[in-house]
Amino acid sequence: MLSLQHISKYYQVGGNKNFVVNDISLDVDEGEFVSIMGPSGSGKSTLLNIIGMLDEPNDGYHYFVNQPVHQLKEKQRAALYKQYIGFVFQAYHLIDELTVYENIETPLIYQDVKGSERKAMVADMLDRFQIVGKKDLFPAQLSGGQQQLVGIARALIAKPKLLLADEPTGNLNSKQGEEIMELFRKLNKEDGVTIIQVTHSEKNAEYGSRIINLLDGRVESSRKF
Amino acid sequence: MIRNYLKTAWRNLVQNKTTSFISMAGLAVGICSFLLLATYLTNELRYDRFNTNAGRISRLTFSYKSADDKEVNTTALTPTAPVPVFKQQLADIEDGVRVVNYSNMRAAVVQFGDKLFKEKKMLVADASFFKIFTFKFLSGNPATALANSTSIVLTASTAEKYFGDEDAMGKILKVDQKNSMIVTGVIEDVPEYSQIKFDMMGSYAMMPRSLNLAWSSSNDYSYILLKPGANREAVAKQMTDYINKDRPASGGKMWFGLEPLTRVHLYSTAGKGLEPSGNIKYVYILGFVAIVLLVLACVNFLNLVTARSAERAKEIGVRKVMGAMRGQLFVQFIAEAGIITLFSLIAGVLLLSALLPVFSNFTGQQLSLQTWNPEWLILALVTLFVVVTLLAGTYPSLYLSAFKPIVTLKGGSSMQAGGNMLRKSLVVFQFVVSVFFIISTIIAGNQLRYIQSLNTGINRDQVLVLDLGGMGYNQIESFKGEIGQQTGVLGSTASYDSPVNVGGGYSINTAEGKNADFNLSVTAIPVEKSFTKTLGIKLIAGNDLDLGDEQQVMDTSADKRRYSFILNEAAVKGMGWKPEQAIGKKIGLNGRMGTIKAVAKDFNFASLHEEITPIVMFPEYDWFGKLLVKTSGKNTANTIAAIASKWHKFYPNSPFEYHFLDQEFDAMYKTDQRTGGILTAFTVVTILISCLGLFGLAVFSTRQRIKEIGIRKVLGAGVASIAGLISFDFIKLVLIAIVISSPLAWFAMNKWLQDFAFRVSIQWWVFVLAGGMAALIAFLTVGYQSIKAALSNPVKSLRSE
Repeated sequence: MLSLQHISKYYQVGGNKNFVVNDISLDVDEGEFVSIMGPSGSGKSTLLNIIGMLDEPNDGYHYFVNQPVHQLKEKQRAALYKQYIGFVFQAYHLIDELTVYENIETPLIYQDVKGSERKAMVADMLDRFQIVGKKDLFPAQLSGGQQQLVGIARALIAKPKLLLADEPTGNLNSKQGEEIMELFRKLNKEDGVTIIQVTHSEKNAEYGSRIINLLDGRVESSRKF
Repeated sequence: MIRNYLKTAWRNLVQNKTTSFISMAGLAVGICSFLLLATYLTNELRYDRFNTNAGRISRLTFSYKSADDKEVNTTALTPTAPVPVFKQQLADIEDGVRVVNYSNMRAAVVQFGDKLFKEKKMLVADASFFKIFTFKFLSGNPATALANSTSIVLTASTAEKYFGDEDAMGKILKVDQKNSMIVTGVIEDVPEYSQIKFDMMGSYAMMPRSLNLAWSSSNDYSYILLKPGANREAVAKQMTDYINKDRPASGGKMWFGLEPLTRVHLYSTAGKGLEPSGNIKYVYILGFVAIVLLVLACVNFLNLVTARSAERAKEIGVRKVMGAMRGQLFVQFIAEAGIITLFSLIAGVLLLSALLPVFSNFTGQQLSLQTWNPEWLILALVTLFVVVTLLAGTYPSLYLSAFKPIVTLKGGSSMQAGGNMLRKSLVVFQFVVSVFFIISTIIAGNQLRYIQSLNTGINRDQVLVLDLGGMGYNQIESFKGEIGQQTGVLGSTASYDSPVNVGGGYSINTAEGKNADFNLSVTAIPVEKSFTKTLGIKLIAGNDLDLGDEQQVMDTSADKRRYSFILNEAAVKGMGWKPEQAIGKKIGLNGRMGTIKAVAKDFNFASLHEEITPIVMFPEYDWFGKLLVKTSGKNTANTIAAIASKWHKFYPNSPFEYHFLDQEFDAMYKTDQRTGGILTAFTVVTILISCLGLFGLAVFSTRQRIKEIGIRKVLGAGVASIAGLISFDFIKLVLIAIVISSPLAWFAMNKWLQDFAFRVSIQWWVFVLAGGMAALIAFLTVGYQSIKAALSNPVKSLRSE
């Protein structure tokens, strides 16, 4: 599904290049569930952002569904991104001014989905995550776990092929975290959504089918289950 | 999609009540101020344009310069001949009309049955008046309304005053007890924005002078209707050629000019017209002020929106991650700006309609929403909506939509460098404008106070002015004798005209020791012996007029009549004499032969906009329009009541009316005072808006520096030092603004002051005071934010996630 070849990301500090991601090559197939681990500053989030096209590498080749991302123009990249990728954040990043319903609906608006169709899709999603009763509440009125649930629902509403999650359980207690992980597993198994998550927790990482360990911007180890 | 934008925008507004309110209030005040001024300017600019023929009508001006005059005298007053003669002689002239201000010197006393009024706005004009000008007739025929010498046309409210609900047509009014006038027409009230205003209009034929065509004695206002396509300049030249060919002036020059009707109100330099004129300079100044205020309000809005960008940053990041394109976000923020603009516009218009009556009062103009043509008003509002939205919304929208999601979502500072400089420049700009206004207001205030307090050489204090309804010498003398015995009356004197604004062009055309063709243009005023004493005019040489001088001019045989003149210093200087030399010299003033008896210290007998020019005072008894009564100022009401009761005894047929000389003096500076007042009001608005902008920047900047503040606190900085540090950053901007603004204000106000022959000099302390005020206001605005930031808990600000 995606292929990174010799990807590097660095900051120029004085005369030196300060590498955040250093010559990483990585292939992810459709249907995989990858966990990226590593200590603070090892480049996990940057790598995830590069995969999600939120950040651009300085060097290397990046292919996504057989398209050379490193050659695409901003607009084409955005189109590709919109069609295939969903993002989940540690801090949920819901829009405070919008209700649960509207938060979930927003990506569809940007994809020019018609109003009636949007209604049906959001209703479906609310149903599936069992948050119909909460649809008119604002994020501030929800618990952390519920907010992350909305965050995931929002990421999934446009039916992405790839779900990127940056420490999705980082702000949650262990029980809430477990529920989210179960949800991820189910999405991966039953719906065939490819998932790449960044996590600090060994336990959560083991939900994945592959664990990649990063250290100082390089892949230190990679193991498949 | 738009619905989603609007929803977010709305919730954003509601959630941030304070900032939303501030940005809307600022914008609403700005829009309201702009519209107020625009209404005022619309009114000024529409003057006389209601006349269907406005484009073809010109007012005739007459200029002359005699050999001994230093400057050209231009007047809008013309003799009786030009209109009928030129109408016959020049092919390009379609029609013409002479208009006379009948009630100029004294109000007309008009009687119908037991109703008796003094009419201050009675004009007389040639029969062609209503053909040339467009006034709507409610009854009567415009073509024939002024055909007879006994015709009179009334405005609707005048007709109602005399006849109530009865039909006015054909009724007979007695004017000044001698003329019986038949009402031949009733017109709608004359609009406030007409240079020719009147309550009643008689026929020119009632004036004795209508019988002879004279080229001297200018007392009429003449309006010329040109044929379509005729060249105004060319016609004026033909007129000038005509008069110089047929009536060569003795050593002097004279020429005619044609002022387009629509330019008379704002551009005329021809001196006193039928109505006090406006000033195009003030139109430009106020127009500039209007635009500046609007821009300020937009700048303010822009500053506040970008100041809130930190709060919006996350939302922008999330939206971008969810697939929003920059263009879509741009549209969203523009839509938000649009909503705020719309609300502000509505609030501004509501405020406008609430303030227009107050503003009308303030400016002395009839202003209302009706001043606008409805289509124009709607067009103006729509344009304003679009312009303000774009002006205020574009930059923030570009700025916000350019945020990089990665940066904003990492929770770090979303501020991107570059915008800072712009925001600071905007605040400097706002304060440049504020300081400019503060300085201008102070200087204008100084000048206006100076005018009030300047010793003009005339003691105006507690002087009552009464209109003399054509009394003879003996009658005046006995009336004066009667009121002189009332307590509180210190003295009284009759004169041709009010001493604070003397009109009347004469010339000294013979003088002892001068050539036969000597000619000096002077202002002259018939007075009586007590004139200088009552008004406190100082004599620097010679003796005041006495009873003997008065009796000399009463002599019925013209060749025995001898005049005694009082000249002012300027006149004596114009003659080339020293004051002492002048005493006893023989001169002739338009045929009045006599000797100079005294020289008066210069005093201001015209507006302080003008230098003191030569004036001659002389006794002459057929021409007294005013009685000036000097009172003690103690128990004035009783004194006035006593004078009134004597008046009614002497003049049972004439209502008693009076005013104070001071009021008359103040009236001459109405335009200046009005502009000063407007300037003050809008200075306050400017300062208010600028403070909102500064407040916005303070909020923004303290948030941006929250980490720095935290670190400083951890390192042991005290509240005072941090508050000082932040405040100084802003005070610095204000100081820059003061430096930029001061020379601009100096330049502009210097220019304004040039219009006054008598003016204050601009003092350095004005700039210090204005700067100090701006800095203090800025400090108070920023102080709260600074202290709040200084008091904040560093643990909170330094926690990264």
